[in-house]
Amino acid sequence: MQPSPIIKMEQVVKRFPGALAVDHVDFEVGRGEVHALLGENGAGKTTLMNVLYGIHRPDSGKIFVNGREVSIRSPKDAITLRIGMVHQNFRLVESHTVCENILLGLKNLPTILKLKTAEKEIEELSKQYDLPVDPRARIWQLSMGERQRVEILKILYRGADILILDEPTSVLTPLESKHLFDFLRKMAAEGKSVIFITHKLDEVMAVSDRATVLRAGRVVGKVATSTTSKPDLATLMVGRKVLFTYERRGEASASPVLEVRDLQVLNDKGLPALKGTSLTVHAHEILGIAGVAGNGQKELAESITGLRDVSSGQVIIEGNNVSGRNAKYMIEHGVAYVPEDRINVGAPQSLSIAENLVLRTYRYEPFSKGLLLEKREIGSNAEKLISEFNIVTSSRDAITRTLSGGNLQKLILARELSGRPKLIVALYPTRGVDVGATEYVRELLLKQREGGAGILLISEDLEEILSLSDRIAVLYEGQIMGVIPAESANMEELGLMMGGALKKAA
Amino acid sequence: MALPSIRFERRLVPDRRLNSAVSISSILLGLGSTVPLFLVAGVDPVAAFQQVFSVFTTTQGVTEAVTRSIPIILIAVGLCLPFKMGFWNIGGEGQLFMGGVAATLMVLMFPDSPSIIIIPLMILFAFLAGGIWGVIPAFLKARLQVNEVLTTLMMNFIAILWVDFLVYGPWRDPQGYGFPLTVMFPLEARLPMIPGIRIHSGLLIAIASAILVYFVLSFSRWGYEIKVAGQSQSAAKYAGMSYILLTLLAMFLSGGFSGLAGMTLVSGIVMRLRHGISPGYGYTAIIVAWLARLNPIGALVAGLLFGGLLVSGDALQIGLGLAFSTVLVFQGLILLFVVGADVITQYRITVSLR
Amino acid sequence: MTAIDTAFAVSLLAHAIQAGTPLLLATVGEIYSERSGVLNLGLEGIMIMGALTAFLVSFRTGDIALAIVAAAIVGALLSLIHAFLSITLKANQIVSGLAISIFGLGVSGFLGRPLIGQIATKLQSTPIPLLQDIPVLGPILFSGDVLIYFSVIVSLVLWFVLFRTRFGLNIRSVGENPSMADSLGVNVDLTRYVCVLVGGALGGLGGAYLSIVYTPLWIEGMTAGRGWIAIALTIFAVWNPLGAILGAYLFGGVIALQFRLQAIGIGTETPQLLLMLPYFVTIGTLVLMSSATLRKRVGVPAALGNPYVRGE
Repeated sequence: MQPSPIIKMEQVVKRFPGALAVDHVDFEVGRGEVHALLGENGAGKTTLMNVLYGIHRPDSGKIFVNGREVSIRSPKDAITLRIGMVHQNFRLVESHTVCENILLGLKNLPTILKLKTAEKEIEELSKQYDLPVDPRARIWQLSMGERQRVEILKILYRGADILILDEPTSVLTPLESKHLFDFLRKMAAEGKSVIFITHKLDEVMAVSDRATVLRAGRVVGKVATSTTSKPDLATLMVGRKVLFTYERRGEASASPVLEVRDLQVLNDKGLPALKGTSLTVHAHEILGIAGVAGNGQKELAESITGLRDVSSGQVIIEGNNVSGRNAKYMIEHGVAYVPEDRINVGAPQSLSIAENLVLRTYRYEPFSKGLLLEKREIGSNAEKLISEFNIVTSSRDAITRTLSGGNLQKLILARELSGRPKLIVALYPTRGVDVGATEYVRELLLKQREGGAGILLISEDLEEILSLSDRIAVLYEGQIMGVIPAESANMEELGLMMGGALKKAA
Repeated sequence: MALPSIRFERRLVPDRRLNSAVSISSILLGLGSTVPLFLVAGVDPVAAFQQVFSVFTTTQGVTEAVTRSIPIILIAVGLCLPFKMGFWNIGGEGQLFMGGVAATLMVLMFPDSPSIIIIPLMILFAFLAGGIWGVIPAFLKARLQVNEVLTTLMMNFIAILWVDFLVYGPWRDPQGYGFPLTVMFPLEARLPMIPGIRIHSGLLIAIASAILVYFVLSFSRWGYEIKVAGQSQSAAKYAGMSYILLTLLAMFLSGGFSGLAGMTLVSGIVMRLRHGISPGYGYTAIIVAWLARLNPIGALVAGLLFGGLLVSGDALQIGLGLAFSTVLVFQGLILLFVVGADVITQYRITVSLR
Repeated sequence: MTAIDTAFAVSLLAHAIQAGTPLLLATVGEIYSERSGVLNLGLEGIMIMGALTAFLVSFRTGDIALAIVAAAIVGALLSLIHAFLSITLKANQIVSGLAISIFGLGVSGFLGRPLIGQIATKLQSTPIPLLQDIPVLGPILFSGDVLIYFSVIVSLVLWFVLFRTRFGLNIRSVGENPSMADSLGVNVDLTRYVCVLVGGALGGLGGAYLSIVYTPLWIEGMTAGRGWIAIALTIFAVWNPLGAILGAYLFGGVIALQFRLQAIGIGTETPQLLLMLPYFVTIGTLVLMSSATLRKRVGVPAALGNPYVRGE
């Protein structure tokens, strides 16, 4: 269809310790094309583009730009080849002006900056592409949308013909997104090429010419947008997986352990992360939260466990409104939390294993008496949990840093599950954990369910969600797109919800 | 171009033996590096080191060294708390002066009280005053993220000038021939000597403080909380701790111990408040705490050593006519080696040629 | 205003500029170091070593130019230790800086001992022809010595470099966001080394001014905390060399005023309260700067005090 692609990647492989991130991928983009790179989290989209941009070196495979084989060793090489990338987290110096940010690191920059000239050039560029931004403004004064424009201008100023944008709409308002799409079409019309990474199906349909769909590091589909549909894309994206089925014993009880009503919560940047989220978890039940990471998962988990302020709405545990309570209160009321960041939050690395096993319970009997710690109790607690949960370690006094990823997660689960919690919030509990430990973690959660706990399982692994959950809720842009029983879940429907293309009344 | 490339890899497990080896060799290297300096100045290094070591061989020298080490130990022991939390209290010197002021205030307010009343009052208020002086920057840091290094440093100078103001102004002894001094403390307000040795009872306070802080850090709930909070603020929050409260408390105690150091100086040695009651004990204590790797018992040992170094300054002055500040050369060099060697204890370093 | 009042004011202001000059040099140096992300608490030690070096060279050789250059070199060498520790060895900058200060104070006292009470050749003032004859302004601004003129010029030049050149942009980026600057091809370590060395050389010059102009004799510990004041002024100047000119002369004015008032018997009781002023102002500035918006507005170096390790 397209004569001589401007970018061609052949059989590219990128391996990370313990994971094959990009698995023999063939990828090509034509001149004047907007090309969507679609996939779930961990599908390898960003890694593939980081290879193209010179941030990662491929383990094998070839890259051709304009038909010539190239070796891209650093972003500098990529820029020389007229490739530019806008990362999901902007790389801007907040206290510098727009102009200074654009000039920083530029080759052939004169010793004495010609700020006036540069400002004028940037102004013209921004007018030409309809990307309004004041070159004299400082980054911290700008909205996320404006900052994105600065990143794009930075690339254009360097003369790029190929633009890579990583999840560009995740920080934009709907209006800003529309504006961005207009700009992307305009670029294509001028003969430049755009690659944009996304998991949102609407966007693929709205703006791209073609799409490449990745799943688990492999290309599972190359389609022309005009000949495809959202359901087709959704099926490609999530795939039809062979389901491991776990035995789920016992019926969910009728009484809710956790009720979340119309919850509104801000993220770390002060932007709305949860926009009126409501859900219910019963005893003897696992409620799986599916969705692409960054749609409010972390904020949901933190606001239920007392680690994040709630702007409005209610968190109700066993009938008591506990919104606004701190973490200590939640610990005391039987809420266990398996956090996403195991190293900085879940288990501080310089503590001994025994110390980490009482991180959230050290202040209560029998681990403390009065103001003093009961070292003997803490020690025997550790012995007990290490053998009960099969934590592989040289000793209970070993430094936590020496544990492998799987054993670190077992340590956290051992601590969180040993206190007979009523509610367990598990955020990405098997992410980055080896296969054996993953299996073990899942079994532990099922055992807790059997024992009567209510579990909120937040995961990006659909297979995990499907095989463990009683019901599945899909979170998209801070809202629940729908709740479906696991037995009747179908992939197409889930894919559409995760991509924001379908919303069912709860 | 074949440039050597250096890679830094964080050590998984701290190596205790390596740590002590680094501390001891830093002291030796620091002392040793002064040799060229002695040679430049035309001083026989052997004679100089004889003077230094003479301090540790005579009863009088040791007595003097121990006396000098009392305020250093007190401050260093206190510094272990905020330093463990990653709070850089450079303000020990100022907190010491504020403690001295509060202790003196008690004497001026209740000049005729018996020892049993005035000494505990002085201890209590010195601790409070130092503690409050320490809590201010902690509050600014915890609530407003104001850099504590700079605030604690600036507050040192304010405290020192405040003492100067008092002794030159309102608190000046009218019978003092115009010297900037307060009145001499009555006997009741002086720390008694420990029977049998010529060292005032501040030593007992210092030893007790070191043991107390050691126990608090090792065996109390609160010591555990400090350990967690020092690692990660978010882990502390996850564990249900209040990071702000922890910071305030650590700094109150650290300031308090420094204030106590000030009390032992005015009540045990100088017997009055005057300009320059401390020749920088607050800064020396930072070296000591660092050298002891924030272990209070280690601070006790290192504090004694540095007390001895201070006395050796006098010995060098009298014996060889050198400046007292030779001691600062020792201190500075030792600290430079300790700090530089930290990289060895924290990272595994590999050098390779590309 | 009577003639006497005018004469008093003129000599007061001229004294203010003299007293402010060592502070200005040291402050501008510290600004460079901190803008690149390296806090240098060794300034007090660097200044006193500069003072000793300049005095020693001037005393031995009588060559004032050589004395000035030597002071700058010694200041740079001392800061090189700090740079090596904090940049290459990723050591704790606070403790390293303190060590440099203690070391500098110690060495200067040790080596300076035989010089106490000696008098060295003084740097003479170089009035600028014609300009010095302007009434009032002439004697205040244009009757100083070379180092006064140099300190002002160097502040202006360094302001220009910081905000108007490629190197300055690199410095500010390295102090703000070293990993990003690194990814854009800026050499983080080299930039920091250069800034710390420049800072040390200027600190050394500041010290030299004290011992060969302001009080041309050797007194142990003669910097009397000016290094710490310069660190305070860095904040007061919000890391801007132009602000440093203002801050240094203001504080020079406080020193001069205190002298004058003491001379006529006013304020002899309480000069301490006046002297506390810069520290209070510094703490106040720091508190103001705690507002995130203001920090970004003035460009407080966000990576100040953090060693940069690639990939961490």
